[in-house]
Amino acid sequence: MKKYLAKRVFYMVLTLFLVATITFFLMKLMPGTPYSNQEKMTPEQISIMNKQYCLDKPVWMQYLIYLVGMLHGDMGTSFQFSNQPVSYLIATRLGASAQLGIQAMIFGVFFGIILGSIAAINRNTWVDTLVTVLSIIGKSVPNFVLAVLLQYYIALKLGILPIADWGGFSYTILPTIALGVGPLAETARFIRTGMVDVLNSDYIELARAKGLSKFQVVYHHALRNSLIPLVTLIGPYTVALMTGSMVIENIFSIPGIGEQFVKSITTNDYPTIMGVTMLFSAGLVAVILLTDIIYGIIDPRIRLAGNGD
Amino acid sequence: MKLVKVAASGAIVALCALTLGACGSKSSSSTSKQVLNWNETAELPTMDLSTATDTVSFDMLNNTMEGLYRLGKNSKIEPGLATKTKVSSDGLTYTFTLRKGAKWSNGDKVTAKDFVYSWRRTLNPKTNSQYAYLFEGVKNATDIMNGKKSPETAGIKAVGDYKLVVTLDRQIPYLKLLMGFPVFFPQNQKVVEKYGSKYGTASKYMVYDGPFQMTGWTGTNLKWTLKKNTNYWDKKNVKLSAINYKVNKTTTTSYNLYQSGKLDATSLSAEQAKQLKGQTGYTIRKAASTFYFQYNQKNAAFKNKKIRQALSMVVNREQFVKKVLGDGSVPSKGLVSMGLASRNGEDFATAAYQKNGVTYNLSEAKKLWNEGLKELGKTSLEFTLLSDDTDKAKNTTAFIQSAIESNLKGSKINVSNVPFKTRLARTTSGDFDVVISAWGADFSDPISFLDLFTSDNSYNAGKWSNAQYDKLIAASKTTDAGDTAKRWNDLVSAEKILMNDQGVAPLYQQATAWMIKPKVKGVIYNSAGANYNFKNAYISGN
Repeated sequence: MKKYLAKRVFYMVLTLFLVATITFFLMKLMPGTPYSNQEKMTPEQISIMNKQYCLDKPVWMQYLIYLVGMLHGDMGTSFQFSNQPVSYLIATRLGASAQLGIQAMIFGVFFGIILGSIAAINRNTWVDTLVTVLSIIGKSVPNFVLAVLLQYYIALKLGILPIADWGGFSYTILPTIALGVGPLAETARFIRTGMVDVLNSDYIELARAKGLSKFQVVYHHALRNSLIPLVTLIGPYTVALMTGSMVIENIFSIPGIGEQFVKSITTNDYPTIMGVTMLFSAGLVAVILLTDIIYGIIDPRIRLAGNGD
Repeated sequence: MKLVKVAASGAIVALCALTLGACGSKSSSSTSKQVLNWNETAELPTMDLSTATDTVSFDMLNNTMEGLYRLGKNSKIEPGLATKTKVSSDGLTYTFTLRKGAKWSNGDKVTAKDFVYSWRRTLNPKTNSQYAYLFEGVKNATDIMNGKKSPETAGIKAVGDYKLVVTLDRQIPYLKLLMGFPVFFPQNQKVVEKYGSKYGTASKYMVYDGPFQMTGWTGTNLKWTLKKNTNYWDKKNVKLSAINYKVNKTTTTSYNLYQSGKLDATSLSAEQAKQLKGQTGYTIRKAASTFYFQYNQKNAAFKNKKIRQALSMVVNREQFVKKVLGDGSVPSKGLVSMGLASRNGEDFATAAYQKNGVTYNLSEAKKLWNEGLKELGKTSLEFTLLSDDTDKAKNTTAFIQSAIESNLKGSKINVSNVPFKTRLARTTSGDFDVVISAWGADFSDPISFLDLFTSDNSYNAGKWSNAQYDKLIAASKTTDAGDTAKRWNDLVSAEKILMNDQGVAPLYQQATAWMIKPKVKGVIYNSAGANYNFKNAYISGN
């Protein structure tokens, strides 16, 4: 196990290094400067600024400077937010996105499991059809459409929840729902499919024969095995949600990281691009590793690759 | 499908709301108080006036800081820290007498030394100021920016605590106007050095000498407050006790907040503007920003005046701003925006108006196009129209492409919508045929626009050149600089030359539609420089 973990961590670091390298060189291919007042600066002024920021050096040298900085934990300072360290930017912005992502995931998975199970138990009835239709709608309607509708009807017309802003649990409800409906629909579909298979298997037949109640059969025996395919789904989904959704964050005016990433690219804010990309990638590789480990715990039949070599 | 969605989500929300009980409904009783709730569509990037570049920063600095002057209504200069200004007969030395008793929010006196420190700091190349170029004309400023001289050689000197002497390399007839722009405001050396690299990155790492002081800004959050500065010298004329700023980037959201009474003012999208036009509170804010065709004169086709004229005349600007933009923008009268500067009650744009430079005339356009092609010895002309990749820019290029291709025989346009930074890079390097460029003035003087198109100006990417134009612009800065009437006439004549020759073809002046509650009074808006001045704003009624 230890050997396996060490190997996986080594691959993780290698992956991150490759991501950093590729992103850095691709980023430098983008035309323009990171200066927001570029249009009004003369070429001489731009070249003086470039010298100040070491942007006049060859790209490979800039890359080395960046790597050395990274190794010392220095992610540089943002151009858009002048003098603001990228680490501070990420630290202050990540919390809201992460909280929202986790809440949306819990909301989605919880209700998804319930809906999916209901559909599987009542398979081929109108309940099943209804859940299927709902999950197709949930998956296909973009979350920002839902967000705008929720905001208008629930917050503005009914006035029971805040329209936008960030300041307590009540502010997170609407964005959580808007973000969570996608995973909810996906989870419901996965659970339904998985559970229909499981419910047909022999050991469920045995459980039923033992005289267990319907709930016990589903909860104790069927659900656990139906969850396995879901694990693959949840990991990357959580990272994607935690690292922010630009549109939802904008609609509900949430100080998250999602928009920063997009904006940093359009403004050539090099240190922020690198910082946020590395954060996303690190999150993703960590979650992939975690998923593999959890897999083994949930289902002992699945052995970690290389285990026992 | 939408209904099903709403019903389903409504049920879920109702469930959540039930379990949550009464959280979320907070009472706010700010309406009758002197508190203004204002929306911004972008974050505040910095409060360091040496490195600020964007409108939000400049608006915040304009209301929390103060320089020698403030910009009042119609860009008229109002007293700030200067009580008296003496200009030498050659126009090269300004002596400002400063107000005694003006204080920083930490209690320190505001002195002439604060100005000297601030200017030197901005000019110092190590500060990386992107607006330092506005100092050009101040003695040694250009050399300091370029690292050839030390900041100490700048033409600004403190004589005692309350006298400031500014010396210039050349006359700057609009110097007093510039003094109302935040880059020229003072900075407290003690505070700047105390906070070091943190200075200006959060409201607590700042000190203020203006009507308001900022609280609650962490550097990256989406709300903050400007509260009345009790150390401000003219505090008796500041009526608002606080301005609450919220950043809502989606105008649907900010308009919902406006309707619910949480905001008193919000800008609108073009779609919203079309729907809300004529309603109480609907306000158009024109910016000192002109969008125009810039032709690359290295391309023989665009060296031909008739071709340039034809391309300009074929665009129906009235129809374009109404049907395509719909955000309150207006057709340009010329390069210099309307409402920027006036003399004896006449707007510069009206004085320099050349009808044939910006008017839709289809028959004339067709005639000129055919003549132009003949002169070039061609029967057709294919070129690239470069522009940004925003929705607005794409709609613009689509409209123009259709207007040109369907009316001018033999024309073929390849539209190239690229990201802003790419558009700038391609324009600067001359890699374009025709580009839709935009320019926003930093200060309310026509030179802010007209300077761009002198032959040697680095922004003149199309390389249009006219000796008479160059001469007039030069005269406005030298021989006629001290004579307001002559200078005005020089600039008017210069713009007429530019328009008649179609060096550039102005399309429209940008504007933004706002909803502002009628109870909000006394807000001063200027199209150039820092836009909003809330010093004398107040709330009246509900």
